[in-house]
Amino acid sequence: MKMTPEMVRAQERMAPGVITAQGFLGNDPRNVAEIIAEDERYFALYEIQIDRLVAKMRELQDAGRAGLGEAITVAPYWEVRVNEARGVLPCPFSDGVYGKINTIVTDKQSGRELVFSDLTTHLIEAHHFFQGQGSPFRHEPEDYVLILHL
Amino acid sequence: MWIAPVVISAISAVLAIAIAIIDGFVNNYGEVTISINEGQKKLTVKGGSPLLSTLSSKGIYVPSACGGKGSCGACKVKVLSDIGPHLPTELPYMSPEEIKNNIRLSCQVKLKSDIQIRLPEELFSVRQLNGLVEGLKEVTYDIKELTVRLAKNTTVDFKAGQYMQLVIPPYGDIKESAQRAYSISSKPSEKEKLEFLIRLVPNGIATTYVHRVLKEKQSMSVVGPFGDFYVRETDADMFCVAGGSGMAPIRSILLDMYEKKIRHRAIWYFFGARSRRDLFYLEELKQLEAQWPCFHFVPALSEPLPDDRWEGETGLITQVLDSYMKSEADPTKSREGYLCGSPGMIGACVKVMMANGIPEEKIYYDKFA
Repeated sequence: MKMTPEMVRAQERMAPGVITAQGFLGNDPRNVAEIIAEDERYFALYEIQIDRLVAKMRELQDAGRAGLGEAITVAPYWEVRVNEARGVLPCPFSDGVYGKINTIVTDKQSGRELVFSDLTTHLIEAHHFFQGQGSPFRHEPEDYVLILHL
Repeated sequence: MWIAPVVISAISAVLAIAIAIIDGFVNNYGEVTISINEGQKKLTVKGGSPLLSTLSSKGIYVPSACGGKGSCGACKVKVLSDIGPHLPTELPYMSPEEIKNNIRLSCQVKLKSDIQIRLPEELFSVRQLNGLVEGLKEVTYDIKELTVRLAKNTTVDFKAGQYMQLVIPPYGDIKESAQRAYSISSKPSEKEKLEFLIRLVPNGIATTYVHRVLKEKQSMSVVGPFGDFYVRETDADMFCVAGGSGMAPIRSILLDMYEKKIRHRAIWYFFGARSRRDLFYLEELKQLEAQWPCFHFVPALSEPLPDDRWEGETGLITQVLDSYMKSEADPTKSREGYLCGSPGMIGACVKVMMANGIPEEKIYYDKFA
């Protein structure tokens, strides 16, 4: 996949300190287009729709909201906590702003944890961008699949 | 594959520099006048800079969380004169109503000609204050109490419940200064210091700085005070709900009311947490309750652990609030609600409070949004 001008601008805004302290690319040497293409290949290989993943993320976040900021058990597999902080974050692709809402999903069977913000969900849904390796909000596609029991 | 983006980036950078240089020569806007609140205040300034930074250079601080980068949407100002349409950088932060009313992001408005704006009066008392970090104490595993001692001969006047913006300097990979809003947790009579409760947010610029970088005795600047979350002086019983760092403004309010010897209204504080490790200031609040007959402190755990040996209230804070409003509080007294926390928590508490006789307009809150 080629880097479009939109991706070039987005990649600049993904640098540390522009939108978030540590940025969106971590120490990944790949560019945005390469990251997206590689993660899309994973989902295609296992025939998992990214829309289905996003729907599950939203479903768990909605269930977690019932905890009013504290962790809550969500049957059958998870513990979910939804934290909200003051302020908003703009999408580096400049197509919206999102509240600083973090959802922490723990798979009680494996003890593994997934943390995603509303911006993370948007980046996956709208841009298929899971962030670069080393980014604090990067989880590997297989982590999503295993922890969310897709 | 990498050549095209690098070339595009390089061309963009060269064009941006060229535009900035040409702009400096060609677009000399001279002096412009900023008329504030129908001419109550008039500032004559050099044109060409953003409204936000120009106002702050004159000691008028409009709230801004990103330091003018157009990424927080906080620095909204009503513009009364025609300065052209909204920029694409402003639109994501604007509701249709705000666009109709010519509300603008002051960091994106470049001063090219005389301008008329409207600002809340309280902004005129906002100042930038400098001080030193006197204390940085862990109150839970993810919340720190930050104490800033203001510089010599510097004091601050604020209402209990208001907030300040911490000025976060560049650090690590962060190349630019940023500002973030935090409620003051100390009482207004302590004019030479300010306390804050700061919960670590994953990847947050300010909270990472406070939790991982900042040390005692380092300098710290704050801007403020801001906000209209404060106690209304009525006879109504008060029902306060806040958990985590949301306790900050409520603590300031409680300490202030105790000091002012308020005795004529019942004050309830419901502090929700999941388990014992999420609770803090318990001793201080229990002591306050023992010394202040009209104050009732109700901590509640939603999922206490066996090791917690918790004998207090259990359940979601909304359930505990509902139960106390129905069975413990005086049903004959008028009531007010005071909330601080996430929009979700506030929405749930508002429903409970309204179902228990508090009119919506008597529920005041400081929403983290």
